[in-house]
Amino acid sequence: MLLNYITIAIRNLRKHPLYSGLNIVGLALGIAACLLIFLYLAYETSYDNWNDRADRTVRVASDINYGGSQMGFAVAGAVIGPDCGRELPEVQSWCRFRNRGSYLVRREGELQSNIREEDVLTVDSSFFEVFPVKVLQGDPLHCLTQPNSIAISRSRAEKFFSSPQLAMGQTLMLENEDRRLITAVFEDMPQNTHFRADLLLSLVNDQEVQESPPFWGMNNNFQTYLLLRKGTDKVAFSKKFEQLARQKIAITAQQVMGFSLEEFEKTGQYAHFYLQNIPDIHLHSDLTAELAVNGNIRYVWVFSAIALFILLIACINFMNLATARSSMRAREIGVRKVLGGTRTGLMGQFLTESILVSALSVGLALLLATMVMAPYNELTGRDLSIPWAQPLFWLTLAGGAGLVGLLAGSYPAFFLSAFNAVQVVKGDPSGPGRKKVGFRSVLVVFQFSISVVLILATILVFKQLHYIQTKSLGFQKSQVIILDDAYALGDRIYAFKNEILQNPAIESATVSGYLPVPSSRSDMNFFTSRVIEVDNTVDMQRWRVDSDYFKTMGMDLQSGRFFDPAIRTDSSAVIINEAAAKLFGFDDPLGKKIYTLDNTPGSTPKPEDFKELEVIGVVRNFHWESLRSNIGPLCFQLGRSRGLASFRYTGKDTEAVIASLEKEWKSLAPDQPFSFRFLDDAFNRMYRAEQRIGTLAGLFALLSVIISCLGLFGLSAFTAEQRTKEIGIRKVLGASVLGITSLLTKDFLKLVVIAILIASPLSYYLMGDWLSDFAYRIDIQWWMFATAAVIAVIIAIVTVSLQSIKAALANPVKSLRNE
Amino acid sequence: MIELKDIERYFQTGSLKTYVLRYVTAKILEGEFVSIMGPSGAGKSTLLNIIGMLEEPTAGEYWFLGEGVHKFNERRRAEMYREYIGFVFQAYHLIDDLTVYENLEAPLIYKKVPSAERKSRIADLLDRFNIVAKKDLFPNQLSGGQQQLVGIARALIGRPKLILADEPTGNLQSQQAEEIMSIFQQLNKEEGVTIIQVTHSEENAGYGNRILNLKDGKIDA
Repeated sequence: MLLNYITIAIRNLRKHPLYSGLNIVGLALGIAACLLIFLYLAYETSYDNWNDRADRTVRVASDINYGGSQMGFAVAGAVIGPDCGRELPEVQSWCRFRNRGSYLVRREGELQSNIREEDVLTVDSSFFEVFPVKVLQGDPLHCLTQPNSIAISRSRAEKFFSSPQLAMGQTLMLENEDRRLITAVFEDMPQNTHFRADLLLSLVNDQEVQESPPFWGMNNNFQTYLLLRKGTDKVAFSKKFEQLARQKIAITAQQVMGFSLEEFEKTGQYAHFYLQNIPDIHLHSDLTAELAVNGNIRYVWVFSAIALFILLIACINFMNLATARSSMRAREIGVRKVLGGTRTGLMGQFLTESILVSALSVGLALLLATMVMAPYNELTGRDLSIPWAQPLFWLTLAGGAGLVGLLAGSYPAFFLSAFNAVQVVKGDPSGPGRKKVGFRSVLVVFQFSISVVLILATILVFKQLHYIQTKSLGFQKSQVIILDDAYALGDRIYAFKNEILQNPAIESATVSGYLPVPSSRSDMNFFTSRVIEVDNTVDMQRWRVDSDYFKTMGMDLQSGRFFDPAIRTDSSAVIINEAAAKLFGFDDPLGKKIYTLDNTPGSTPKPEDFKELEVIGVVRNFHWESLRSNIGPLCFQLGRSRGLASFRYTGKDTEAVIASLEKEWKSLAPDQPFSFRFLDDAFNRMYRAEQRIGTLAGLFALLSVIISCLGLFGLSAFTAEQRTKEIGIRKVLGASVLGITSLLTKDFLKLVVIAILIASPLSYYLMGDWLSDFAYRIDIQWWMFATAAVIAVIIAIVTVSLQSIKAALANPVKSLRNE
Repeated sequence: MIELKDIERYFQTGSLKTYVLRYVTAKILEGEFVSIMGPSGAGKSTLLNIIGMLEEPTAGEYWFLGEGVHKFNERRRAEMYREYIGFVFQAYHLIDDLTVYENLEAPLIYKKVPSAERKSRIADLLDRFNIVAKKDLFPNQLSGGQQQLVGIARALIGRPKLILADEPTGNLQSQQAEEIMSIFQQLNKEEGVTIIQVTHSEENAGYGNRILNLKDGKIDA
């Protein structure tokens, strides 16, 4: 029986190559898209799966509203880990990370071999106790107990010393000055983890830890993980932890600031600490000081939905073509019924057909997916591959193929098998296939609605990106070259800067680690008087810059002046931005005094501990963070910060300018790698996620349009075929080609217009939601809908016309004689 | 075998009933060869369809082998087709996508006849109708007469008790028609298969042993 079904299915497919092709290609595109999306989703949801202790490991996070700013932190004070270990018996072990950014690393005695290592963490010696990273060489429990020890990954061991065995006991030089003895080599950490490290430095005797005040809520610089004992009730433990945190914050308020927690909270300010589950971090956490760029659960949902919709669009093609062509199959069904075929049997036959089509499509989809895997990985920034060797993958795929076959085939099977035998055996010429035009129309409308939503989404995302790129930012992002590792030159950086300024192409230069793109950040508390009160504090960024900073960055003053190296008192001057002026409540900020504490106090500070600063200028607000956020308060102080050197140049002869920079660099520091980037590139990188989303939305829009059009093409081809005789008669009666084409096109166009009407409000709602993530955003305008509508209509007309014109041009004699 | 009691078939438009069949009462015994005759529009095909359970009468009773057909559901009807009834159509109605061999095999598959027996039965019939050479051809590669031979072979392969033929020779030349009719006669006489055919032609009716004349939906005695 099954064999018989399959034979017939194959013959049917071969007999109508156009429709079979449309069906298989459409489904294959849909399945390939689905496959790619689900590989991505599987990866996104697999984060920290490798960690078999993840279910009982938590991270301390905080939500702090203080001094006018509200922030969530993935980091905590140095004291929190030890406090938890001591006061909460459920804690089996704890580990703190201090992320100090990238390091220059080389083998001892080999100056030329300096390499910049990005994934470096300074960690407590309990690291291998808390995280089940396999240690290949060395003692996992004691390797980081000595100061100046370092554990490195297998790949770094191989890079620096050719093998893990040879790496043991060797010395690495960090930043040319810090000698570290290799005491362990560990297996490379998987990619799908919320943090990655290639070098682990020991936190023992760390100056920052030793100088840290013993108060919660201060010096938040350490990612802190707690490993709980087996069987700990996490919910109860969370409560207990939050209680402890509250007690500790009360102590901080009392001892450091001199007022009670209740007084503090009365002002609407707060400091909450809570625990995050490790497996939730990648998709659910987006805090300050995350260890990697995390994913977003919303995109996971959105892309799952897109995958399913694309698949559905492809299935609809199958349904529509199958039912439209049912009149051709009607006689076969009737005959089979009078031969004793039951309805179930017939359904089985049609389902076999659709499952066969689905299986062929899956094969083609695998081929397609393999072909586009490389560009897809580039697009998503992931390293995905089809897991050929996994039985589970094949099982899922087979199940998926069966499911798609059932989904696509069930409606036609149900519909076709219900034919009344006598009607078709008697040769009812109208055929039952024509009557269900209504349902087919609904399906076409559905397909095009999704396509239009995706087209609109693409337009909006790119429009927003364009807005970001062209928005006036308060600084000039073009024509600025940034040199990394400027501090590696030490004080020679200033000689370097003066030398470079001899080049007429260089307009100005500044040395500062703080830039309005991702770079150093540091926030401090500023006070309006020499005492800490509940509401006299502003928490804001304090950037150390030199006097050429504003010229190089192209920032404007609202009032006052920039720093002047000739004026000695400028060392105690401060320039604030408009946002800070507003937060301090200064109507005329010039000449106003603000106060800061340069040393973190161990107890309530005395008036002489405060340092006085005079506001000499107000800089116009500029976007120092992504356009997702509002512009926060910020101030500049004259000072040394040697992290980066930036150069504004004329914009001409870029290569010559860079060559001269490199030449000068090499002569000053032959053993330091020379690396540069452009300010505008660095700026654009902040919106990589949005660019990805835009590109992906565009691709999926394109795909769904293509698949929908395949279906529309098939339907119009079929209609044209069915109406051959009518067209012939109309032509004989004198109808023009244009008239007939529009006759055939009109019906389909109506459906597309309805789809546009449905899709427009839907996208308005969905995209409004997306845009609300941005503090600075475009308005959704009517012309965007018009553009999407025009695109959809044109595509539909072209698709349908391909068939209609052909039918209209055909010689009527032929079609009439055929009957 | 077949008992029709006051069968009526009409279409209702408003209060107006248009009768296709009215007061049709008839008995057909096993082994008969009945020809239904009458002018165009007399309801011949409708009557045959009712007998073949393809259409349901609007009123009246229909007993087949002592069972009330009006009580049959679709599954039971399919069972009847498998076990007792074979159809022969004017337009042959072979399945275009199947070869001659596969067309003959289809009813046996529905009857769940084991593969070996299917082969031997098909071989027998191909042989009997002299179409062995055509077994791998598709219907559109055959002449009308040959297609109808296959159609009859397909109707017979399930060894039905009853063959219903709706103008089986309507599309054929007279020589082929004679051939078909003599096959029917032979089946009726030698194997005792009950045959009911709809026909226009007196000549064809002459092969049978009884004629039901229909006129304006009523049996014309």
